Amino acid sequence: MKRILSGLAVALSTMLMTSTAFADVTLKFLTFETPNLTAAYWDKVIAQTSAKVPGVTIEKLVSPTTDRDSYARQLDSTGQLPDIMIAVSPNGLAETGKLAEFTKEELSDWVNPTSNSFDGKIFQLATNTQTVPTIYYRKADFEKAGVTAPPKTWEELLAAADKLKAAGITPFNIGGGGADTWANLYSLKALVGSEVYAKDQQWLAKLTRGETTFKDPLFVKAVTKFKEVVDKGYVDPVLLSNDYPATQASFLGGKGAMYPMGSWFAVAPNAEQQAEYGVFPWPTDDGSLVVAAYTGGGLSVSSSAPDVALAKKWAIEFSKQNADGGARFDALFVSLKGYRPPADLPPLYGATLEIYSSAQQHGTVTTAFGEEGGTPALPSGFTKEVAAAVADLINGRVDVNGFVDYLDEKYTELTK
Amino acid sequence: MHRRSWLRPFVSLFLTAIFFLPLYVAVVNVFKSSEEVVRAPLALPLRPTLDNVIGVLTRPDGLFWHGLGNSVLLTGSSIVITTVLAAMTAHYLVRSEALWGRILIMIMLTGLMIPPAVIMVPLTRVLRAIGLMSTLPGAILVNVGYYLPFAVLVFMGFVRSIPKELEEAAALDGASKFTTFWQIVFPLMRPASASVLIFLGVWIWNDFLTPLLILGPGTGNTITVGIYRSIGTYQRDFGSVFALMFLATLPVLTFYLLFQKHFIRGLTGGATKG
Amino acid sequence: MSQNVSNRRRILRAWHDAGNFAIFVVPGVTVFAAVVFAPILWTMWIGLTNERATRPQTLFVGLDNYLTLLGSSTFHAVLVNTVIITLIVVVGTNILGVSIALLLRLETRLYSALRSVFFVPVILSAVVVSVIWRSLLVDDGLLNTTLRSFGIQNPPGWLSDPSIALYSVSGIIVWQMLGFAVVVYLAGLAGIPKEIDEAAEIDGAVGWQRFRYITWPLLAPSFTINTVMLMISAFKVYDQIAVLTNGGPGTGATTTIAFKVVETAFVEQRAGYASAMAGLMLIIIAIASTLVLRALQRREVTY
Repeated sequence: MKRILSGLAVALSTMLMTSTAFADVTLKFLTFETPNLTAAYWDKVIAQTSAKVPGVTIEKLVSPTTDRDSYARQLDSTGQLPDIMIAVSPNGLAETGKLAEFTKEELSDWVNPTSNSFDGKIFQLATNTQTVPTIYYRKADFEKAGVTAPPKTWEELLAAADKLKAAGITPFNIGGGGADTWANLYSLKALVGSEVYAKDQQWLAKLTRGETTFKDPLFVKAVTKFKEVVDKGYVDPVLLSNDYPATQASFLGGKGAMYPMGSWFAVAPNAEQQAEYGVFPWPTDDGSLVVAAYTGGGLSVSSSAPDVALAKKWAIEFSKQNADGGARFDALFVSLKGYRPPADLPPLYGATLEIYSSAQQHGTVTTAFGEEGGTPALPSGFTKEVAAAVADLINGRVDVNGFVDYLDEKYTELTK
Repeated sequence: MHRRSWLRPFVSLFLTAIFFLPLYVAVVNVFKSSEEVVRAPLALPLRPTLDNVIGVLTRPDGLFWHGLGNSVLLTGSSIVITTVLAAMTAHYLVRSEALWGRILIMIMLTGLMIPPAVIMVPLTRVLRAIGLMSTLPGAILVNVGYYLPFAVLVFMGFVRSIPKELEEAAALDGASKFTTFWQIVFPLMRPASASVLIFLGVWIWNDFLTPLLILGPGTGNTITVGIYRSIGTYQRDFGSVFALMFLATLPVLTFYLLFQKHFIRGLTGGATKG
Repeated sequence: MSQNVSNRRRILRAWHDAGNFAIFVVPGVTVFAAVVFAPILWTMWIGLTNERATRPQTLFVGLDNYLTLLGSSTFHAVLVNTVIITLIVVVGTNILGVSIALLLRLETRLYSALRSVFFVPVILSAVVVSVIWRSLLVDDGLLNTTLRSFGIQNPPGWLSDPSIALYSVSGIIVWQMLGFAVVVYLAGLAGIPKEIDEAAEIDGAVGWQRFRYITWPLLAPSFTINTVMLMISAFKVYDQIAVLTNGGPGTGATTTIAFKVVETAFVEQRAGYASAMAGLMLIIIAIASTLVLRALQRREVTY
């Protein structure tokens, strides 16, 4: 028994020793993995970055689910906030001084350095833009149902969905089971974008000041529209049990004609499949172009990292090293000054980017609901509640009134 | 009675088959290619392949091997330390018969029913204060403290069945309590030790929430947490998820098949005394 | 002189005993105190504050959190979920467990092999069990594919329909715990003296009657063990929820107390509120287990 114990003691102490034996600064970097962003991919970019920023040893941490926002908070609660994080919402962490601020000089290479500002302070590199969402559709399904052109107006969208349903095709594929409830949010993000944020840019500020609630007619209208889609049977509640990878696989496998999803879907179909899909912006009442988008998503650095300056340097370099890969594997619209995406990106990437650029020219890009960075913002943990309530809406457990009541209740609870 | 003698084995086999079906699905699909898993999930692997297993074993991020190493170290150290400490504590408390001893036992027994979720917030703070958060020794400490009441309970039941005279004779010969315990009492408690080791071994190997929160990501996590991580990313690739689960369960499963009698007696015996 | 000697001896013995106490009891109890006992008290304390990661200053708020909880419909739903799971697991596993035990009690190779099968899920981790079942129960999983091939057009959304998911989860827990209950009942059955069975046969007691009036009362200790074990494990269920449903579908359709506590504490980072929830959970467990143990022991005595 004694021998076993002393053996264990030796084993344990060697484990402890090896982890402190590096001369470099060890920085913990939190990533997440998806079918597109694999472990091998991250390892490659990390190695490239570390080659440019000497003196850093990166210890890669992987979020156990794609919901790295929750995981980063779980780590923070147990005193283990990673030194560098990618695509973790700074809200709640920034205000309490847990993140390091980026200076103007450090942000000089970025196109929109000030997005997600907390009263002028920047805590996350605004490395890229994503449209959340556009609607991806299967051309064959539209043809089969006799839908000749992608719908532009709300009426046309409903008409198209009706034809699809009549042809025996589920119009919308909306998933979000297991830990990936967030995946069901995209239709509502689009609707809040066009019905609320496009009509009143100050809406969120008003909400945070207590001047309005989710019972606001603008917001209710957005929810009512979504409810209409559900009530007409255009969404299959059973598909909700699919987690995010399963949802993507089921859409690519032929389930549902339309898939409201973030721009990262553009690179999901492989080279042969690319031609089978098209993309159009979420339709509005009058057919005008409104695109909800999120700019941010880059890296943030913990203010308690062992070497904050070095960590920031590494994070900035990583953003540059990751640019091509981000575009290729995550369909990111990289917002670094002078950045040109690789020429051989798939057609859907170009098509989605065109929608975004066009909206930019028209000045009709809105904030994406639930992804408002900086201030004003929704309280941390709130988006999760919205996603859960959306599932209830799809399942018919709540009506529009119940939905907005629930949101108000949770908003009050989480801001208290 | 005899005319229906086929009925009982038939019903038994049928019910067991239904019960076994999920396990069957999990095992056969380990040895099929991904297309076959989707096309015929119920079929036997007609063209068995080890691709899934090899894929898991050679994953570039070493998820399986790191997890396995952590699980073995964590489980092994936790159960050995807990068994030693619990056996000594139980022995002392049963023999001392003092009032404070009984109070201590009462307090420990309440510890039996505490779900880990309830104490997680302060627990992470305790570990941070002593610098053991997100380390293997920290997780071992948590396991030892958390499972100690259960182990003490099992040992206490057993100590009572050991005649006091043995120890008194040894004491008269001038042996210290410590020597007496290790040379005479502990060897006699082998069945209780086996119970505790098996029970805790299975529990700790399979533990999810505690390593997820306590071990954190820094030192790598256990194989059970590794499974949870791999489903998020590879959920659609059932072949490799099942292969990972199969490999992760293999150590426990092998022990079970080798020592089936002890296992069942250990697991239920431990509970029966509790 | 002699008094001095006996005094010295007493001191020596006390010193000696203190040494033994330090060796035998102190290490274990210290770890227990640090890891379980102190955190319980600490949880109770945090539950009386408004501590939250985004709040710079933590204040003592007395029973505020508890009052909010008792009035919160979300928390009521969570409590109801937990109670439903616990009831299904305790009742279902006991009924199935005793039936299977009666069926498989024969001492032949066949039955002993079948018994081993039932025990396998007990040694698997809840994560593994949940992943297996999830792959069977999702929308296009094996079960629904099979149902569709039998011509059932719209098979239930086992995990996606909020009115079914809770029962699916409970069923999976029953499946996993069943082997344990079976073995405990088998041990109980083995302990019934042959004479009693024979006497019953002579008296002409058969089938249900014999079970109801002879076998079942004698299985009372097994029933007690199973009920207590099942109650404790079902009440704190977390892993299955995390893997199978993440508390959904929708708003808390399958959220249990343990899941809610962890989510509130570590994702929403509201330590105060979460700790009050944990405190309530402790109080419920304490009351429930005292009541159940009393009731069950009384039942054992009367027979």
